Amino acid sequence: MSPLHAAAYGLDADRVGAAPGVASLVRRRFGGRFFIDPFGLDPQLCDVVAPWIGAAVRVDVEGAEHLPTSGPAVLIANRGLGLAEPAALSVAVRRAVGRRLRVVGAPDLRVAGGWFRRFGAIAGSAGDLGAALRAGHLVAVPLAPTWLRSGAGQPPLELLQAMLVAPVLPVAIRPDGPFGTPTSWSVTISEAVPVDPSYDLDDPLAAAELAEAVRARVDGLLGVAVDA
Amino acid sequence: MAARVLVTGMGGELGTGVAQLLESRADVGEIHGVDFVPPRRRLRRAEFHRIDPRRRERLRDFVLEYAPTHVAHFGVYEPASRMDPVAAAERTELCSATALSAASRAGALEAVVVRSGLEVYGPPRSRASVPDEQVPPSPRVPYGMSLLRVETIAASIGRRLEIPVAALRYAPIVGSHVPSPLGRLLRLPLVPVPAFSDPPFSLLHPDDACRAMVQALLVGFDGPVNVVGLGAASPWQAARLGGRIPVPVAPFAWTGAARAAELLGAAVAPHVIELMRCGRTGSGARAVSELGLGELRSTQEILAELYEWAEIVPLSGLRQAVA
Repeated sequence: MSPLHAAAYGLDADRVGAAPGVASLVRRRFGGRFFIDPFGLDPQLCDVVAPWIGAAVRVDVEGAEHLPTSGPAVLIANRGLGLAEPAALSVAVRRAVGRRLRVVGAPDLRVAGGWFRRFGAIAGSAGDLGAALRAGHLVAVPLAPTWLRSGAGQPPLELLQAMLVAPVLPVAIRPDGPFGTPTSWSVTISEAVPVDPSYDLDDPLAAAELAEAVRARVDGLLGVAVDA
Repeated sequence: MAARVLVTGMGGELGTGVAQLLESRADVGEIHGVDFVPPRRRLRRAEFHRIDPRRRERLRDFVLEYAPTHVAHFGVYEPASRMDPVAAAERTELCSATALSAASRAGALEAVVVRSGLEVYGPPRSRASVPDEQVPPSPRVPYGMSLLRVETIAASIGRRLEIPVAALRYAPIVGSHVPSPLGRLLRLPLVPVPAFSDPPFSLLHPDDACRAMVQALLVGFDGPVNVVGLGAASPWQAARLGGRIPVPVAPFAWTGAARAAELLGAAVAPHVIELMRCGRTGSGARAVSELGLGELRSTQEILAELYEWAEIVPLSGLRQAVA
C-alpha cells in the first residue's frame, strides 16, 4: 500500500481497487471524496472503467513473472495505429500484478489531454517519464506505430536516457483472434534488458545501444527476422 | 561554533514556525528575525526585530551588525496574501536584495536557504507537466518572476562566497491559519473552476514547509529542490470536498471571475488564476531522497484541514455552568 493510500479515501494511484457501486460512486464524486495524482490519473474512474475494458478486450499474458509487483519499470511495446495495444497491455498488467499502468503519449491538448490523463496517460517527455519512474510507477512506452502491425517500430530516442533509471522490459503485443483479427490479444513480456552498469546515465551512447537492444528483443518476441 | 541564524519574514506563519523549530535544536545558537509584522506565536529564545523591508538602511545595518552564519529567507511575500501584488513584489525585492547582500558582506555566512515556489516553472507544458529540478524555469506570472529573481540573487551570493544556497520550490502552501489567496478562494461559497478541464494541483502543509526549511538550512543543501505534498486534487474536487458550489468559468472569463471573487472577499492574483486554469504540480522525489523529507502530508489532508472549522462553543452556556 502506498503512503498516500490511507489519506486518499482508500484509493491507490499504483494498485488497482475494486469497482465501486453506483450509489457509492455518485456519492463520492458529488462529495469530492476521491483524488487524482499529480499526473492527472483518477484511480476511482479507472476502477469503474477497467472491468468493462477487461471484459471487452480478451488478453492472454505470457511472462507475467517478469513484471515487478512494486517499484518502477518501463514496458516497451510494439503498437499499430490506434489505442488497442496500450489498452491490451493495461489489461494484462492489471490482471497479472494488480497494478495501474501509465502510458506515455497523452495528447498536448488541454481538454482531450486531461481526459486521457485521467485514465493513466502521461506526456511523452523525458521529464514526465523520469518523474513517473521516480514516483515508482509502471510505465508503458510504445514504439513508433507500424502499418499492419508488422514489427517493432522506432524507439523514442528522446526518452531512452530517462528510462535508464529503471528495469526495461520488452513486450510484444499481437492480435490473437481468428486469422489474426484483433478480437483478442496475446501479450508476451520478456525479462529486463541488461544495461551495462558502467554506463553513465547521461551517456547518449548507452541510450542508443539500449534502443537497438530493445527493438531487437521486441522483434524477436514478435517472430520477426532481425538482421544480424 | 553554534549556528547564528537570521530568519527574514519571521512575522509570517512560516517564519514563526521555522523560528520555533530552530529554538528546539541544541546545535543552533542565536536566532534573530526581522519582518514588518510581529510573529504569530510566542517565541522563547528567538529575538524579533520589527523592521519594514522598505527601510533599507535599518535592515542593512541590523544584518551587518548581527553577521549571521545561516539565513532562512522567508522575506518573500505572496501577492494577495497579506498585501496587494505591487506592494508584495516591492517588499520581496527590497528584503531579498538588502538582507541577503548585507548577510554576504558581514563575513560569517555559511549557508542560505530561500523560499521559492513551483510558480517558477510556469504553467504545465507538454515537455514537463510534473517538473523536477532539471526543468528550466520559465515563469509566466509576476509572482513566479519575483521568486526566480530571489533565487538568482541568492545563487549569485553562493557563487561569490562559495557557500551552499538552496531554493525551496514550495507547492502552494495552504492551511486553515495561513493567509493564502488560494485558500481564501477555495473557501468561498461559490468557487470558480475551469469549465472545460479539471487540472491537478498539489499543495504543501505549512508545518512541512517549515520542516523542509530547517532541514535544508542545517544540512547545507545546495541547489533547487521541489517540496510538494503527496498526491494532488483538482479544482472541481476541492470545491466539492469543502461542500462548495463549483462555478464553471470559460477561459476568457477568468478576469471577471477574479473581480467577482474579490468582491466576495478573496483577492485573486494571476498566479492563482494560472493554478486554477492549468494546474500546478511538481516532482518532489529529490526532497524525499536528499533532504529526507518523508511523511509529507497529502494534498487531500491539507484540503480537509482547510475546510475544518473549530467547533463553536456557546459562551452563554459556559457562563451558566460557571455560575
